Amino acid sequence: MEKPKIALYWCSSCGGCEESVLDLAEDLLDLAESVDVLFWPVAIDMKYHDVEMIPDGGITATLINGAVRMDNQEQMAKILRKKSQLIIAHGSCAHLGGVVGLANFFERRGILNRSFKEVPTVKNSEGVLPGNETKESRKELGLPHFHNTVKALDQVIEVDYYIPGCPPTPQLIKKALLAILHGGLPLKGSVLAEKKALCYFCSRKESKPDMIEIKRFKRLYEEEWDPARCFLDQGLICLGPATRGGCAERCIKANMPCRGCFGPPDKVTDQGAKTLSFLASLFKSTNEKELKRLFNSIPDPAGLFYRYGLASSILKGKMIRQ
Amino acid sequence: MNSFEPQIIAFLCNWCSYECADSVGRAQKEYPSNLKIVRIMCSGRVDPQFILEAFQKGASGVLILGCHLGDCHYKEGNVQAMKRYIFLKELLPQFGIEKDRLRLDWVSATETEKFTMIVSTMVEDIRQMGPLVARR
Amino acid sequence: MKAGIFICECGPNIRDAIDINDIATFARGLDHVVFTASFNLLCSEEGQNLIERDIKKHNLSHVIIAACTPKEHENTFRKVLSKAGLNPFLLQVVNIREQCAWIIKDRVLATQKAKAMIAAAVRRVALHEPLEVKEIQCESDALVVGAGIAGMSAALTLAQKNRKVYLVERLSCIGGKAARIEKVYPHLECASCVLDPLMDEVLHHKHIEIMTFSEIQEVLGSYGNFIIKVKKKAQFVDSKSCIGCGACFEVCPVKVKNEYNEGLDKRKAIYIPYPGALPHIAVIDREHCIRFQGKECNACQDACPFGSIRYEETDQIKELKVGAIVLATGFDVFDPKRASQFGYGKIRNVYTSLEFERLLSSNGPTGGKILLKNGEPPKRIALIHCVGSRTKKHNEYCSGVCCMYSLKFSYLIKEQLPDSSIIEFYTDFCLPGRESQGFFNNLAGKEGVDFVQVKNIDSVGLTQRQDNILITYKDMHGKRKKLLFNLVVLSVALEAARDAGKLARIFGISQGKDGFFLEEHANIAPVSTSIGGIFIAGCAHGPKDIQSAVTEGQAAAGRIFSQLIPGENLFLEPITAEVNEDSCSGCKTCISLCPYKALTYDSVKKNVSVNEVLCRGCGVCVAACPSAAIKARNFTDNQIVAEIQGLLQG
Repeated sequence: MEKPKIALYWCSSCGGCEESVLDLAEDLLDLAESVDVLFWPVAIDMKYHDVEMIPDGGITATLINGAVRMDNQEQMAKILRKKSQLIIAHGSCAHLGGVVGLANFFERRGILNRSFKEVPTVKNSEGVLPGNETKESRKELGLPHFHNTVKALDQVIEVDYYIPGCPPTPQLIKKALLAILHGGLPLKGSVLAEKKALCYFCSRKESKPDMIEIKRFKRLYEEEWDPARCFLDQGLICLGPATRGGCAERCIKANMPCRGCFGPPDKVTDQGAKTLSFLASLFKSTNEKELKRLFNSIPDPAGLFYRYGLASSILKGKMIRQ
Repeated sequence: MNSFEPQIIAFLCNWCSYECADSVGRAQKEYPSNLKIVRIMCSGRVDPQFILEAFQKGASGVLILGCHLGDCHYKEGNVQAMKRYIFLKELLPQFGIEKDRLRLDWVSATETEKFTMIVSTMVEDIRQMGPLVARR
Repeated sequence: MKAGIFICECGPNIRDAIDINDIATFARGLDHVVFTASFNLLCSEEGQNLIERDIKKHNLSHVIIAACTPKEHENTFRKVLSKAGLNPFLLQVVNIREQCAWIIKDRVLATQKAKAMIAAAVRRVALHEPLEVKEIQCESDALVVGAGIAGMSAALTLAQKNRKVYLVERLSCIGGKAARIEKVYPHLECASCVLDPLMDEVLHHKHIEIMTFSEIQEVLGSYGNFIIKVKKKAQFVDSKSCIGCGACFEVCPVKVKNEYNEGLDKRKAIYIPYPGALPHIAVIDREHCIRFQGKECNACQDACPFGSIRYEETDQIKELKVGAIVLATGFDVFDPKRASQFGYGKIRNVYTSLEFERLLSSNGPTGGKILLKNGEPPKRIALIHCVGSRTKKHNEYCSGVCCMYSLKFSYLIKEQLPDSSIIEFYTDFCLPGRESQGFFNNLAGKEGVDFVQVKNIDSVGLTQRQDNILITYKDMHGKRKKLLFNLVVLSVALEAARDAGKLARIFGISQGKDGFFLEEHANIAPVSTSIGGIFIAGCAHGPKDIQSAVTEGQAAAGRIFSQLIPGENLFLEPITAEVNEDSCSGCKTCISLCPYKALTYDSVKKNVSVNEVLCRGCGVCVAACPSAAIKARNFTDNQIVAEIQGLLQG
């Protein structure tokens, strides 16, 4: 019998999700026995043409990681959608736009100028920006075109399942792959992790009191954090209440507060807004000046609240100027 | 730009501000039709997501009106509204939204003049600021 | 959804300002709208019948009514839906009168706005869910804590055939502070003439169970179903056989300060607080009785002709099941030792007003005679107002009763000692109501009664001058003056009871900054608290006079009457919050936000649930929940966002 065919692709990605697949370690050997990996740019050399030759629906499942910010990525995503029975958004960037999505706080022109002209370590006296086409000898060379807006995968193609995390844990990836191979996948559109927020699963839950009052936000470097006590109760921002669980609280166990990489719990649209809302309730002050000061004591609050989910948030990023 | 008519979504609490808007109506005082009112039980019901949805769907301004501090029908719901509002307001510029497009104020059920003043001023200010466009 | 839209013309009110046909056509064109109609006055009987008829005829599943403000007729129209067989919450009222027709003079703009509002309502109502009006069984019995004048008033009003009242009193006798007064203003009636019939009625009432010498230990449950643990402390005297003859106190070897008389005289370790105290049963003070300190003594038992002494008695815990609670636990007075300028406790013949009331009382330590410590009647008496009131140093509020009772003191002193001279030192005179001014006027003319206004009570100081008391003060021009007196009465502030904090914690209610229990709303809900089913009355709720205390006691009873009807269930307001257990992560963000303590955490299930009896539906918890696990019925996230979309995009 033919083995199921798997493909993996990366869009705007750091490579962490690929490494997470490698972290399956010995299980990779089992995987290699059970599937045919048709396409995996980081591991196998293939051409665009080869992908186009795959019959429609010929791939059992394609895991796509990375956010979509360039037209070639969008193109590939669309092709892979045609060729795959199942598309899995793999990792925060594909799920929500991820850290890459933070680029949506800026305009494309500004980003290009900054990267190619303004950065102190760049020498670009002529102010050359990456262009679309150029003629070199007799061939026309083109570079992929930057979109104005970074998108999550499901803003470009229909996505069947999501494996969240930056990166997802190898356990989650394994579980997802097993479900694809042997059945047991939940409803289409599901995120393959827990439904409830991390708080529910956290080993420090018992130490969380019914009422927490924060007088000021502490910074990570300020103290040696008690490894048994709820971070919020210690005055450190932890996004556990506003983040989907299922990560086996790796960060918490390393005595680091949650940063929200699994995205919002199942029913929430905008993780940043809900984070803001729950944090606001932890302050007892009712003085406007003090509240402003407290809020501004968080370095980069927008980056904190929307670190992984900006591209799929309600506003998706900075509103466009007319 | 000349023909830009801003749409403003206003969240009014059942007990003070919605009642105030009704009082303005009973007094037959005018205010711009740009204001579109959403009735909620308490200003503390305002989820920051509502404000962002309003901007995303085409509002050029969002107004929250609640009971005066100390008068909230549900004790301190308006305090919660104020805290979220202050936090969200600080965040808005990063989204390309001028802070002044989001406003919060307190009115009692009979402060009809204050109500019409707040609304008219806001509509005019936002008309000057121009429209916002959401990212696709 | 098969929505029907009814547009009210409201006479000329809406018709003149908005193009009704235009909006009707527009409405008819919206998705899922199968029927529209307009009518002159939808709220009229004819209008309501029309709606009912059309719902049935066109098989409508949801209804939108574009008319006046929902605050006026939403309930009316909900009833119409019920009559037509639809769940009353599948309705959305659009306010096109107060918030459209009446505030926009331009017909085009008004019509345009009305359209947006209707579009929003259609989108919203599509997401409405049928809501059930739930009923719960409840206990109709009530608990009143405190058998003072407010508590007794509440108990007497509440007690009836189907409703038992448990009246729990901390002391061994009932009557509270009012029972320690000789005469009450403004008519200078004898207090016991007013109080005794009430106390008698309370003691013998078929439906009131009094538990004296008892304290509340624990309160569990919620409105309609409270479970109360009461500790009935051992009195060591059998209440059935003791007649209060006093043979036991004659022989008791122990003497202690009588707290009932503010320490002005002594009582025995076995005692009745004052002659005539009700119930007239002796009690042993185990803290001072030598037998309880380990010594041998059977004096009282030997002397008792009825064999009523029971040394072996123990404290009993009794469990009560009640539907509502009235807290009428009274007040304590300001201790002038906290204001050393008055020399209280150091200078002889300086009394607090409560002590002076005991001196005036015929059942008090002097049998009602006003006497100095040396046994002589005083000739020159000073009454100092605002001791501990109206000052940032102690209590900023005005206690409201001191001016009147100080005037009362002047009347009574003059009556007993016609040759005495009295000076009332005051800052302002508080004389509200129908009779107070007249009370003052009558006194102001009397000989030997003078009023000296001082700028600030803080400027008043007392020092001992041999057998007399020297009062120094600053007059209204700031000039230092001094006057000599034999006796000084300090009109002390009424403060929250010393154990108010403990009680507040047991009952889970809030205290104001001043320590008194906090009402639900200062204007419109003065006798209820934010905790459903718990009411407050009398001075526990702030300083007040007897009339007001009685009023509040009766009012609290009235509130309970209107909702807790014996034999009937409690109807729950359906617009409350609901937690989705599948989504709740138990992060506890919501719990401290609820002023009604309606949210509780289950440490086994690791999630939060809403008590629908206590929830008031404000939605604060809903907005704060980072998992969107709480739903605000009839004001859900989806409904509101749909409404926003309709308003902006049609």
